[in-house]
Amino acid sequence: MLHMTAVKKVYRTDLIETHALADFSLHVKSGEFVAVMGPSGSGKTTFLNVAGLLDTFSGGDYLLDGENVSRLGDDQMSRIRNRKIGFVFQTFNLIPDLHVFDNVDVPLRYRNLPAPDRKARIERALELVGLSSRARHLPSQLSGGQQQRVAIARVLAGDPRLILADEPTGNLDSLMTREIMDLLERINEQGTTIVMVTHSPECAARAQRQIHLLDGKVVDLDAVPSLSREPILEGVS
Amino acid sequence: MLLYNLRMSLLSLKRNRILSTVIVGGIALGIAVSTMFSTMRHAFAKNPIPEKSDVLHYVRMDSWDPLKPYPGDDPTRPPTQITYRDMVEIMKSDIPVRQSGMFMSNLLLFPSKDIGRPRKVRTRMCFADFFLMFNLPFKYGSGWDKRADAGPEPVVVIDEETNDLLFGGQDSVGKMVRIEDREFKVVGVLDTWRPTVKFYDVTQNFVQAPEGIYMPFNFLRPMKVQTAGNTDGWKTAPLPGLEGQLVSETSWIQMWVELPGDRVEAYKDFLAAYVGEQKKVGRFPRPLNNRVTPLMGWLKEQKVVPDEITAMAVVSLLFLAVCALNLMGLLLAKFLARAPEIGVRRALGARRLDIFVQHIVECELVAMIGGAIGIALSLGGIAVLNNWVKTIVNRPDIVQFDPQMLLLAVALSLAAGLVAGAYPAWRVCRIAPAIHLKVQ
Repeated sequence: MLHMTAVKKVYRTDLIETHALADFSLHVKSGEFVAVMGPSGSGKTTFLNVAGLLDTFSGGDYLLDGENVSRLGDDQMSRIRNRKIGFVFQTFNLIPDLHVFDNVDVPLRYRNLPAPDRKARIERALELVGLSSRARHLPSQLSGGQQQRVAIARVLAGDPRLILADEPTGNLDSLMTREIMDLLERINEQGTTIVMVTHSPECAARAQRQIHLLDGKVVDLDAVPSLSREPILEGVS
Repeated sequence: MLLYNLRMSLLSLKRNRILSTVIVGGIALGIAVSTMFSTMRHAFAKNPIPEKSDVLHYVRMDSWDPLKPYPGDDPTRPPTQITYRDMVEIMKSDIPVRQSGMFMSNLLLFPSKDIGRPRKVRTRMCFADFFLMFNLPFKYGSGWDKRADAGPEPVVVIDEETNDLLFGGQDSVGKMVRIEDREFKVVGVLDTWRPTVKFYDVTQNFVQAPEGIYMPFNFLRPMKVQTAGNTDGWKTAPLPGLEGQLVSETSWIQMWVELPGDRVEAYKDFLAAYVGEQKKVGRFPRPLNNRVTPLMGWLKEQKVVPDEITAMAVVSLLFLAVCALNLMGLLLAKFLARAPEIGVRRALGARRLDIFVQHIVECELVAMIGGAIGIALSLGGIAVLNNWVKTIVNRPDIVQFDPQMLLLAVALSLAAGLVAGAYPAWRVCRIAPAIHLKVQ
């Protein structure tokens, strides 16, 4: 599903050159649930931005769902984001002026689907996350957990092949965290690939595979004697 | 998608009502000023008779003083009118489809005693072709025929206002009316006809209303009718009085011909031949300088649109441009404050074009709301302007807001929206989505 080989992402200023991703390679199979962990500054967000075609990269190869996306134009990347990728953010990123229904509608609007089709998708997605009764509420009228469920409904309505979740439980209490992780697990069981960046070992433990980033690379913690699993996780918890 | 973008735009306007009001107000002010002054210019510049303007031609011939050119800013121009004797001769041509020499006079109208005292009424002395040539609208009856020209027969056409005065607005065709010392039979009553510019005679006050009475030209001699218009002369008349004027080199007649395009050259040749013959008897001492000028060219040459009005219209458009440019900054600030939302939309699949169009639609919505308010304000301004003009030319309807001006106002509104919004919309559509997703 997601194949990154020797991907580089370099940020340059007049004085400094920062290698946010250095020879970054990662392969995620279709239907996998992968947790990405690492300390702040390790490149997790850069990886997610590149993986989600929200940012370009400086070198290497990236195949997404069998398509080489290394040299796509902006319009083509938008199209792939719209049809193949779903995003779940730590801060939910709902549009505050729009009702729940309209928030879920946003990605569908850019797919030029007919209105009845959109309505059916939205209603089904809200039902899946248990928020059908809140369709006409504004985000500010919902709890944090409910807002994140709306964000997940927005993803589900688009029926993407890949979900990229950036600390989806980072702003939630333990009860709501459990709810959201249950929801993500159920979605994964339906065959959707999920790559989730998290600082939480508990959340990461619910993924099928965990990978760790350090200095812009995927590292095998057991193969790095100077680093043990615990200090890294403690340091970022 | 357009409806969706309109809905998003309305939400955006509601989000910050004060800023939205300032932006709409800025557009409204710019549209009000520019529409008002553009309408004022349009009142003078518009084609008064578009269906015929290309076949109507104004005729001039240079019989002026050989020692100095006809006064004016262009020494190559012939006098603005022609002499009576030349009019009589060139009217014999059968090249024009229609033709009429004409002038304006003030004649004494005698209403019945129960209506009121005699009064001077502006009267146009003209030929039968005048009515068809300029497409005058008739409420009752019609113009007279050419036999009445030759007689002349005592017939007149009166305008609606005169008919209201004399006959209470009833069909007066066949009724008699006394003008000066004669009785005339009414053959036609004009319907409402108020061209902003009295285009068939721009040699004098061309914003005054058309005349109240139209009389066969050839009553000139029997009634000794004096012109109330301009007369230009350079040579002493050989006889005193009206007879002297008729054989003099004094120019005081306006001459119009209706010429399809394929007859224009033939008519010019005819005029050249006529002047050539006259030169043989000592007239037309200046070089051959006949002019057969199409209507719109003649109006332009006579500066029917005053330079001051054109300048005001240009300045008002510049004012609108300044309004739009000032609003650009406000719109940019407003749109950039929405960067996180734009980041989300981009992440969810919006193309740059989608973001650009969404924001341009918002700008155009603002512009159309501002434009509608601006048009309402300009209507108020035009009413004030007409009230002021009325005190000068005694007409309350000089500046009229017509469908053309409505279209112009809408086009100006859309253009202002585009000028104000294109750059801000372009800037926000270039926002990198990744930067703003973390900070929402």
